[in-house]
Amino acid sequence: MSLSPASGIGRFYAKSAKIIRFVRLGCTNRPFYHIVVMERRKNQHQPVIEQVGSYDPLPNDHNERLVALNTERIRFWLGKGAHLSTPAAELLGIAGLLPIHPRTYMTAWRNRRTAAESEAKAETTA
Amino acid sequence: MLRASCQLLTQTALPAGKSGGSGFALEFVRWRRKPRWLPVAKSKMFRVPERKKQSEEERTELMRLHNQYKTQLRSVRQFLREEVVRHEETSTADHIVLTPEQEEAEFLKCVDINATWNAKIAKERDQRLAKEREDKVAYVQERLEARQLREEERREQANLRVLREIESSKTFITRENLDAAIETALANPVDHNFAIDLAGNLYRGRNSSQVPDSTPSSNQHALSN
Repeated sequence: MSLSPASGIGRFYAKSAKIIRFVRLGCTNRPFYHIVVMERRKNQHQPVIEQVGSYDPLPNDHNERLVALNTERIRFWLGKGAHLSTPAAELLGIAGLLPIHPRTYMTAWRNRRTAAESEAKAETTA
Repeated sequence: MLRASCQLLTQTALPAGKSGGSGFALEFVRWRRKPRWLPVAKSKMFRVPERKKQSEEERTELMRLHNQYKTQLRSVRQFLREEVVRHEETSTADHIVLTPEQEEAEFLKCVDINATWNAKIAKERDQRLAKEREDKVAYVQERLEARQLREEERREQANLRVLREIESSKTFITRENLDAAIETALANPVDHNFAIDLAGNLYRGRNSSQVPDSTPSSNQHALSN
């Protein structure tokens, strides 16, 4: 799998469906994502139209998960009618560019519930 | 890949367990499933997979949130679409339409700028060329002087050598004084042979029994021949 340049060498039809989504790079047990614009029907490891950001999902030493976004180009492509994959929409929602995605809320309340449950279980056993 | 791995697994590595402990270094984890053409196992034939339970309130809440999100995203998209259109209209990146007069004026302006640039560069170039010429002249002059010096030195060396030769030619044997030289040589034979003993005494001559040059020793006669 070769790395295509961020400026993009992917060929595309003018009226085909584009999508902003992640491309999983990195390796086994070490995910790393490029946020790219490409034709929706294409495989994620095909050449991209344009790279608009990167996302490192594993927290670093300072407990940060690093995201880089080219918001200007994301706005451009969204204005051009590009679709959004769900993880990309969640990330952009958290970044503040778009409204918060419902899945973010859902994950949050499920996490809260499991935390409360485990806490209750710990209290009953102790 | 799937089929090959499955066949390999059925032949060799299937009894070895899920992924570890196979006879050799084959480990299939991701593609461990049976071939497409095998039927559903008898034990699984009537198994009904359990549906994930979703509470009613969560479902309604998610529905509400999704409706809200979609509405908001639609308006954001509308805004961005308008922004792109606006940007395309206002930007002069690739669609400037000019009248012929404007084009002419633009062209003249470009020519002017080009002429000033050319004049400036020509001035710089002339300066540079003049300097290069000067440097070259100086270099050639220097080389010429050096060559002259070298020649003089060489001539002096040659003169010295000629004088030396003339000086030594006075003792040369020529056709005229050949007989005299032969007679002199025959009259004065020179024997360059010598022997030397362990003490360092020198015995000159091939057949002579002369006393050695340095201090005499007891075995001089024995070694003299």
